[in-house]
Amino acid sequence: MELGPIISAMRRNKVGAIVVGVQMAITLAILCNALFIIEQRVALGKRPTGTDEANIVVITNQWAGHPTDLAAKLQGDLAALRSMPGVVDAFASNTYPLSNGGSSLNLKLNPEQRESTAQTALYIADEHGLQTLGLKLIAGRNFTADEVLDRMPGTNVPPSAVIVTRALAEKLFPGKNAAGQSVYSEYQKTLAPIVGVVDKLQVPWTQAGGFGSKFNDSSLLEPYRHEAPYGYYLVHAQPGQAVAVMKAAEKRLIEVNRARVLQKSQTLTEARAEAYKDDRGLVIILGVVCAALVAVTAFGIVGLTSYWVAQRRRQIGIRRALGATRTAIIRYFQTENFLIAAVGSIGGIGLALSLNLWMVTAFEMERLDTRYALIGAVFVLLLGQLAVLWPALKAASIPPALATRAA
Amino acid sequence: MLKMTHLSKAYRTEVVETFALRDFSIHVREGEFVAVTGPSGSGKTTFLTIAGLLEEFSGGEYQLDGANVRGLNDNQRSKLRNEKIGFIFQAFNLIADLNVQDNIDVPLRYRGFNGAERRRRIQEALGRVGLSARSRHYPAELSGGQQQRVAIARALAGSPRLLLADEPTGNLDTQMARGVMDLLEELHRDGATIVMVTHDPELAVRAQREVHIVDGQVVDMAPQPRLVEAAQAGS
Repeated sequence: MELGPIISAMRRNKVGAIVVGVQMAITLAILCNALFIIEQRVALGKRPTGTDEANIVVITNQWAGHPTDLAAKLQGDLAALRSMPGVVDAFASNTYPLSNGGSSLNLKLNPEQRESTAQTALYIADEHGLQTLGLKLIAGRNFTADEVLDRMPGTNVPPSAVIVTRALAEKLFPGKNAAGQSVYSEYQKTLAPIVGVVDKLQVPWTQAGGFGSKFNDSSLLEPYRHEAPYGYYLVHAQPGQAVAVMKAAEKRLIEVNRARVLQKSQTLTEARAEAYKDDRGLVIILGVVCAALVAVTAFGIVGLTSYWVAQRRRQIGIRRALGATRTAIIRYFQTENFLIAAVGSIGGIGLALSLNLWMVTAFEMERLDTRYALIGAVFVLLLGQLAVLWPALKAASIPPALATRAA
Repeated sequence: MLKMTHLSKAYRTEVVETFALRDFSIHVREGEFVAVTGPSGSGKTTFLTIAGLLEEFSGGEYQLDGANVRGLNDNQRSKLRNEKIGFIFQAFNLIADLNVQDNIDVPLRYRGFNGAERRRRIQEALGRVGLSARSRHYPAELSGGQQQRVAIARALAGSPRLLLADEPTGNLDTQMARGVMDLLEELHRDGATIVMVTHDPELAVRAQREVHIVDGQVVDMAPQPRLVEAAQAGS
């Protein structure tokens, strides 16, 4: 290896090496932060809700005017939906996963507690809720029909029981079986018994770093009939029949009562696509920016190394005349590039971590995993080696006889 | 040491074939100091590039230190060039970004010597050309004569079997040229085989033998008159 002479030669021609090194450092800093964000957003978009998304349909229902007897209307609708062919089950709720809207509660273990123990999303469900959503009960039991109470929005009817997710159970009663315990809701000012624990049910909110992101899997189901002018019918269709059931359900609901607006109907798969649309857009934009940045850096290296080769044609000819093989010439340029890239990468890692620290402070982003910086550094080193290959091959083709020609 | 037999070198284009060397034969024995002379365009430089394995030839045979070099691939030629030949160029051909020591080190690194061996050879070669004190200087900080001495030190450091000098004093003033020629003669006296290409008759007479080339062919291989006279005086 010609490290000593290469470093010595670079010290006498600093500018080019510094330009490439800085470019590599900036590329690395932007690249690993961008890839970190991309990875986070992709992972965010793939988070399972805990429901049988592919077979669940959501119909947004708004009764026209000031409807009376909402309890009867709700029961009529649900009976109609549950009796439809292709429907496994159905219930009405205040929200649904991926809807980006809903209510939250602060929970305590007892009324005397000053600070709440956990924050949770609130899902209203009757005894059909678990089956409709396809939730997996891991402890305790489902709501019974007797536990399900009538409740109009804005009224405070203490729940007779609650079902919590595993994540919420762990927060409330770490290492213990939450089924059988009680939990105190600050809003309802009452202790409610936990009758069951489900494996997973994501909160309705999906925005990265937004509301709900800190208690993503902490959800609580309360047993009410959602007797509200505005609400959601969730319908679990037989496998592969979601779209057909959705269309048929809309038609059936209109047949039952025309005095309503069915604002929006979609499968949870469609809801997922909609919920993470912005994240997908960001991933695409960042991906394009990263690709462009990598291309600009690669072309920069190719351009500058080609210039160096042109500038050092005679020197290369002399080296060849003195016994350098073509491989030795290629190795020379690769070593030179490796040294520049190594220094650029060290600077880039520092820059990447600093940039991330700033974004953590300014935008409440997550801390960059150091592995991203290291992987980015390896990538930049490989990019440099790849980019330098073509000019190095050109250099290696310079004939040794060039040394005998007049300077 | 160097034996070319009926060697030819042709440069071909789509419409014409030009011979730079034709039916070219020369034999340089070990320890000889040969001057290759001729007018411009006679084929002197072509001879040097082929002798130095810098270029391939079209026909004939070339044996360097007993080995036939025809058909060697680029790597083999580079290795042979590095091990057997020391070059002294008219334009010195030092690498401007490297100091004296690193310039001399270039062929030694390609040879694969370890650090200690390289340092020993560099010091020895610099001592030989009287530039030990200048090892950290860059070429631009040296006079033309000193630069050529560094180039000679670089050529000597690998202990080559053959020194090829291409107009070694062409870029030097008279006094510096004399110093370089004195050094070459000293190396020859110490046993080096030297082939020097020059168009300067005054330099050529300092060699043991002059080979004159015209139109790519050897036309005269006479020993130098002063050597003939010396031989006659001796007999």
